[in-house]
Amino acid sequence: MSIVVDSVSKRFGDFVALDDVSLNVRDGSLTALLGPSGGGKSTLLRVIAGLEHPDSGRVLIAGEDATPTPPQRRNVGFVFQHYAAFKHMTVAKNVAFGLTIRKRPKDEIEARVDELLKLVHLDGFAHRYPSQLSGGQRQRMALARALAVQPRVLLLDEPFGALDATVRKELRAWLRRLHDEVHVTTVFVTHDQEEAMEVAEQIVVLNHGDVEQIGSPRDLYENPSNEFVMRFVGPVSELRGRWIRPHDVEILLEPMDGAPEAMIDRIVHLGFEVRVELSLGDGESTWVQTTRGQLEQLELTEGQIVWLRPEADPEPVSA
Amino acid sequence: MKSRLTLRFIALGYLTLLLGIPVALVFINAFQDGVGAAWDAVTTPEAQHAFWLTFIMVAVAVPLNTVFGVLCALAIVRQRFRGRAILNAMVDLPFAVSPVVVGLALLLVYGRRDGWVGEWLAENGIQVIFSTPGMILATMFVSLPFVVREVIPVLREIGTEQEQAAATLGSGGLQTFFRITLPAIRWGVAYGVVLTTARALGEFGAVSVVSGKLSGRTETATLFVENRFQRFDETGAYAASVVLALLAFATLLAMNLIKPKEAQG
Repeated sequence: MSIVVDSVSKRFGDFVALDDVSLNVRDGSLTALLGPSGGGKSTLLRVIAGLEHPDSGRVLIAGEDATPTPPQRRNVGFVFQHYAAFKHMTVAKNVAFGLTIRKRPKDEIEARVDELLKLVHLDGFAHRYPSQLSGGQRQRMALARALAVQPRVLLLDEPFGALDATVRKELRAWLRRLHDEVHVTTVFVTHDQEEAMEVAEQIVVLNHGDVEQIGSPRDLYENPSNEFVMRFVGPVSELRGRWIRPHDVEILLEPMDGAPEAMIDRIVHLGFEVRVELSLGDGESTWVQTTRGQLEQLELTEGQIVWLRPEADPEPVSA
Repeated sequence: MKSRLTLRFIALGYLTLLLGIPVALVFINAFQDGVGAAWDAVTTPEAQHAFWLTFIMVAVAVPLNTVFGVLCALAIVRQRFRGRAILNAMVDLPFAVSPVVVGLALLLVYGRRDGWVGEWLAENGIQVIFSTPGMILATMFVSLPFVVREVIPVLREIGTEQEQAAATLGSGGLQTFFRITLPAIRWGVAYGVVLTTARALGEFGAVSVVSGKLSGRTETATLFVENRFQRFDETGAYAASVVLALLAFATLLAMNLIKPKEAQG
């Protein structure tokens, strides 16, 4: 189901968490709310779920105004950063909770729980308690629990934030595949641009309670609407007073018009990627991202003088 | 190593001197004339009535203080309102005020002649002071803080995320309380109930003031002990003390027996 957020504002005392925020989430899409902590992304997600009430503005789910509806009647699935597992219940009882509340017949609940535990790869864990699961397993249980009631939308608040890097990466890819299988409109909150880029179809960048930009991952990366978005969604380096992606700078061995002269200070090998740190004449320093192949072809060495040519940039962002 | 042993010795010595020896002497004295004499002393009609009355105190005060204790704890932890700090401080009042003062305070409210609502109650045929209702009120007053104090830290620790998760899954307020909150705080509640029970069993001062100490009518087990002691019936006094002590031990033991089974959950 689609979600429409219409001019929503929310304050906590003097702190403005959301300032007149509007956005559309298409039915069946996978959207990331991306931004630094305190930017308002979790608050926005909680407003959509009904866990926070906005000071002004509306939330429409599937075209209906859901603003006055309490969370228990919104039929949204919500996944918390710290899992919010029901510690006194087994995994099966956790997943069955929403169906038990809805007083579904026992055999229907059992069948559904079995199916969901298979979906999240937790079959065989039905009779364990949450304390006997790893963080990643707990989060998958929480996801199965949220999906059990066939929610109209699925909302995830920093779902992988409490997990270690390897599990995080696994679960990211897995969430992506799960969405292709289940097709429920999904919105997740993250402060990790790589996570947002990898998983989402649409990214909403939030900062200081404002929407900075909404677009596809590629759109945001290639056409950031301002410096904040540019810096937040990818690496940047500064060249002659302009922000530029460090791989959009070409290293030349001969001088050329509009290509400033620079000296290579350091060459850092990061596997396939190579980071070249340079200093320009007037105390300015910058860095360029290149590949091992390029480096070998140009036979670059530390201390060498080169010229830097910014590649064609459709909409330059001034620093 | 040596200092650890010293620490252990100090702790054990302290407990033995202060608790162990006196309680052991009560047991020894209760049976100085034999088990038969002790048994006879606690099965007289007065003694039986006294234990029955203590049972009533516990049976009324513990459930009521448990229910309202949990509600108070919820209000203090989960809500923001004016006077929350005052409510929080008031809960500790029974710890701070001497039970005798509690008894006198109850006389000022319910006393037949000069009590605040005593006259009105008397006209309507309700006797509070020198009867069971007053003694129950006194017991409730002194045993009120335990459930609240045990439940508050547990409520703080569990936070509200599980409750919010339950709400998004379609659970209403009451359902969430009984299915999520209550199971999560059950050990806090259980420990509070045990302490409330122990306090209600042992209450003396406040009940003493409002009871009138009518043997066989308004005499609880603790008052019975005092009464026997003052009449130089040492066997009766110590034997009844032993029964009270055993009841308190049983309460503590009961909790320790049920606790480990579910601790893993």
